[in-house]
Amino acid sequence: MIDEPPAGSLDHLRPQRDEPPPPSPETGIVSRAFEGIGGGAIRIAQEVGGIVVLSGQVLRALVPPRIDRRELVKNLYKMGNRSVPIVVLTAFFAGGLMTLQAGPFVIKFGAAALAGWAAGYAVLREMGPILIALMFSGRVGANNTAELATMTVTEQLDGLRALAIDPVQFLVVPRVIAMITMLFALTIIGDFVALAGAAIVARVMLGIEWSTMYHSFADNLRPYDFFHGVYKSLAFGGAIAMSSCYFGITVRGGAVGVGRAVNAAVVAAAVSIMLLDFFLTYTTG
Amino acid sequence: MSLFRQRIERIGTALLDAAGAAIELWLVYVSTIAGILRGLSRRRGGRGRPRGELVRQLFHIGNKSLIFIIVTLGFIGMVMAYQACLQISRVTGDFSQIGPQTLRLIVSDFGPTITGMMLATRVGAGIAAEIGSMKVTEQVDALRMSGVLPIDYLVVPRFIASIIMTLMLTTIGSLVMFAAGGLTANYSWGVNPNLFFDLSQVRPRHLVLFVIKAATFGAAIPVVAGFCGLRARGSSEGVGWATTAAVIGSSFAVIVLDFLISAAALFVTGGDL
Repeated sequence: MIDEPPAGSLDHLRPQRDEPPPPSPETGIVSRAFEGIGGGAIRIAQEVGGIVVLSGQVLRALVPPRIDRRELVKNLYKMGNRSVPIVVLTAFFAGGLMTLQAGPFVIKFGAAALAGWAAGYAVLREMGPILIALMFSGRVGANNTAELATMTVTEQLDGLRALAIDPVQFLVVPRVIAMITMLFALTIIGDFVALAGAAIVARVMLGIEWSTMYHSFADNLRPYDFFHGVYKSLAFGGAIAMSSCYFGITVRGGAVGVGRAVNAAVVAAAVSIMLLDFFLTYTTG
Repeated sequence: MSLFRQRIERIGTALLDAAGAAIELWLVYVSTIAGILRGLSRRRGGRGRPRGELVRQLFHIGNKSLIFIIVTLGFIGMVMAYQACLQISRVTGDFSQIGPQTLRLIVSDFGPTITGMMLATRVGAGIAAEIGSMKVTEQVDALRMSGVLPIDYLVVPRFIASIIMTLMLTTIGSLVMFAAGGLTANYSWGVNPNLFFDLSQVRPRHLVLFVIKAATFGAAIPVVAGFCGLRARGSSEGVGWATTAAVIGSSFAVIVLDFLISAAALFVTGGDL
């Protein structure tokens, strides 16, 4: 017989974060090192498992799609519209930076026609989506973890459950949908801003004409370079959403716990962005 | 008219808030530097930071971030080399310059910047969460009551530790990035490792830029995060907000400083970088 958790309970997601017993003084340094490595591996496995179980619950909640409209719209606005300034600024600087890196070649060899190619390729495929996803993780993911964690430590989730409202369906599902949609949209906006930033920096700092830069973009970049970056952002959005919601609803212990949960969520999001980026680039070129 | 006025008022309030925050951030920075100088002049100061705090912070900021930095920078190095080879194979098919140019880019830009972004998420969030929790539980006020300056006690050790450890982690991360890139180029595009691991394109000025960037990012992260932590108000919600602000603020500081330093380097060297 398996003990079924009560309906809507999130206790099974929560890893057993018990403190390990203190090492006895006669434990050697080698076995202590092994204990440390093993403990770390088990903790990581627990967190990854929790995220996977939560993802399963989110998918299950989508099967007959019952999404709280008001919560969804509120989150779309808060996560999307309010993040536009930071994404635009980040993308502008990312585009400018890539142009600056091509600067020495332009000045030394006069290769102005290549500046747009190099900057555009780097921005559309990698730097744009990654930097925007990292900023989104900081702005929206961390914020979302803080909000859910505060609700958890003030027992508002238990309150929802007492009203027979499933917290995953009511709180997590709209947030996941909103984050995936909005990171996708923001990456598209950010790509264009980054190309504009590259052209402006090229004009102001390297003295390349607008038309040279435009032709350099238009002749060398393929539509797939753009789509490659944009569809990766869907995966990044999913990773940010799942890790931020997971660490938010499994938090324990007051203000200290909330700070720690936010920290863990952004670290997990950064690692999963890098891993997903590698595997998606490698499999789809 | 009233709607127009409301808008203006809102913009003005936002600007005033931003200016106030900028001044406060500047004050945190200045007091951190002043705290370091005070610590130097007062050899065995009774009111400075506690003994062993610097070592503890070095361990927390440096050693505990090591695996995180190796994993993230290793993967991004693989992606970078893969994309570069893909693009070269479409155009010329001459892989001989891939390795040296990748190394030049890593040393002069990507190594410090991406390590800085990663440390901004990990270390920045950690510092803000820690100091923020102390602020909302009134431990910071208790420090001030007992005649200790919170910045001397909390921010200065983290500042010194972060500069030292960012330099170390950036060096390790850049090496990992280059090595992972070389392995990927060899494994999936058949680039000869002897051609890839070629140091000829790196010049001393790139290394100077590397050190300047790493040290600047290492200094910026704890100042921004400490500032956000010390501004935390309320309870658990306030700590959450402070941590979020620290992640965005320090990541953004890394990007902007990187842009400024790169532009300055381009002008100082007259484009011969």
